[in-house]
Amino acid sequence: MADVVIRSLFKKYGNHRVIENLNLEIHDGEFVTLLGPSGCGKTTLLRMIAGLEPIDNGELFINGKLYNHIPPQKRSLAMVFQSYALFPHMTVRKNICFGMKIKKLSKSEMDRKFEWVINLLRLKELENRLPREISGGQRQRVALARSLVLDPEVLLLDEPLSNLDAALRETASEELKRIHRQLGKTIIYVTHNQVEAMTMSERIALFRFGRIEQYDKPRVLYDSPATVFSAEFIGSPKMNFYEGEIEIRNNVAGIKTDLAFLKLDKEREKTIFSMPGRKILAGIRPQTVYYTGHLLRRRYTDTEVEILAELVENMGDRSLVVGRTEAGTLIRFIITREEKIDQDKRMKIFIDGRRIHVFDPITQLNIFR
Amino acid sequence: MIISKQSPISISRRMLWFTGIICALVIVIGPVYLLLKYSVSDINSINTGGNPVPMWPYNPTLQAYVYLFSDSHFYQVLLNSVVISLFTIALGMILGIPASYVLGRYKLPGRKVLLLMIISVRLFPDIASVIPVVEFFIKIGMHQTYLGVILAHTLLALPYIIFIGAGAFESIPDDLEGQAIILGANRFQTFFKLLFPLAMPGLAAAAIYTFLLSWDEFIFSYFLMLGKQEIYTLTLYLNGIKYAEPQNLLAAISVCLSIPVIAFSFMVQKYMVAGISAGSVK
Repeated sequence: MADVVIRSLFKKYGNHRVIENLNLEIHDGEFVTLLGPSGCGKTTLLRMIAGLEPIDNGELFINGKLYNHIPPQKRSLAMVFQSYALFPHMTVRKNICFGMKIKKLSKSEMDRKFEWVINLLRLKELENRLPREISGGQRQRVALARSLVLDPEVLLLDEPLSNLDAALRETASEELKRIHRQLGKTIIYVTHNQVEAMTMSERIALFRFGRIEQYDKPRVLYDSPATVFSAEFIGSPKMNFYEGEIEIRNNVAGIKTDLAFLKLDKEREKTIFSMPGRKILAGIRPQTVYYTGHLLRRRYTDTEVEILAELVENMGDRSLVVGRTEAGTLIRFIITREEKIDQDKRMKIFIDGRRIHVFDPITQLNIFR
Repeated sequence: MIISKQSPISISRRMLWFTGIICALVIVIGPVYLLLKYSVSDINSINTGGNPVPMWPYNPTLQAYVYLFSDSHFYQVLLNSVVISLFTIALGMILGIPASYVLGRYKLPGRKVLLLMIISVRLFPDIASVIPVVEFFIKIGMHQTYLGVILAHTLLALPYIIFIGAGAFESIPDDLEGQAIILGANRFQTFFKLLFPLAMPGLAAAAIYTFLLSWDEFIFSYFLMLGKQEIYTLTLYLNGIKYAEPQNLLAAISVCLSIPVIAFSFMVQKYMVAGISAGSVK
């Protein structure tokens, strides 16, 4: 077990800056996800922690020890590759015991650990099979087992679920969480799937162009995104964005957009009262828009908008509605299965003013953070 | 592929397949059959004086083989061929595997050019390069020696070994090597436990090729060994009696030339498992 500290890290491939002045602290036993679109440098960072890529500049500490120049063989960490990288000519047993053999563990200890890990990961009766003879989910577990038997201080996982089908992915992610709880190891998990990141990790480091956009608990990332990028990347369906500016009407400050004059909660209203005319980018999550059916829940901070339901997409437990105002502005929102909406129907919807995200269009930063 | 449903389409498809396979077999087996037939035929069935040559062995006899194996020089020649080709494989592999490992696994600058240059050694016809090479060998006193012939054959085989080997090493996914290193393996362990076994199919192909090359190499052997009958290989032996009347004897020698190649290919073939790396990544 160990904590990982990264200080002002740089990495370049030729002239392309992959990682730029990156700082990251991961606590002992924490499950941290590096989240971001492909090509944002998250896998590169993982490979640098593993020692497969040299560090151009900056420092990497594990357990307080400088790791920059420690060869990958001597780093007490393990990595599961996206491809699983099982050795194709070795049986499951030989794959799992590979690292222990290299480390020259005694036969009895090797057997003990092997037994432990195949019980932990339900790999019994597969030990004599070759990788090509087992399923994708089993391969993923073998790859994990091979890493866990070495008792690494830090476990690096590079998109371990991306090659599994949807159903298997859920099981496997639950299993990973269970293992993390059981073993309490520090886990650094790389993914581009925000749902995985939200459900599994204790903290998420959101990457963009080799820098960390926001590093916080999943809930915080969702509830108060620090930047427009965070707001866009986290949450599904995607947030609605409207350009506008602060205006004062009837002695109440709000944001004038193409969609409507958006009201905020009282506290934030007070703050923006002092900045009329300021340009704003307002973000509205599809989940914070309500339909007339919820009239009872109306608050004075709700903004009323009249729309035409152009498209209703049934998603089973809920539906996504794409609405258009008379002026032609689009808004996407979610309704529950009880609230039936017919396509091409005119209706009133209400936007929850307490949960509108307010960004500066130039700095892209959340004004209220 | 197992076709479980007997639909009309699958039957006609099967017929097509069978016809194709039979044609291929005739083309492959045909000449071999003729060779075998001649080697066990009576000499009269070949020199028929205008009558059609029978399809089956006429008056089957092992007379040609009996004659061949009673010739002590033939034993010597057979042994020479075996020794020379095995040493060529050994030397070729010892030199070729490290080279192909480096060229296949390391992203060296100019790697492609280097590979091209290595393979371009073989772009010259043997007959053009044999004179300077042999002259050099004569100068250093290596002509008419086993070692000289082995070196010459290695020279011929090495570009192919390196080319095939580099391809085999290159095709191994990088993730596997990275994983082995993270699991604690050093360069040697990674090579011997992982890369070498996985490059085996390609290397086996290179070995078969080398054996074939050395076994029926004629031009270099001829110029290097000329005049020293004790170290002759089978090809030179065959050359020596090529104008002899008994075609069945020539056929018998040809059979003797072919059998070891076939046997060796079968032996090595088991390492050439297709899809050895299946299941490793994804």
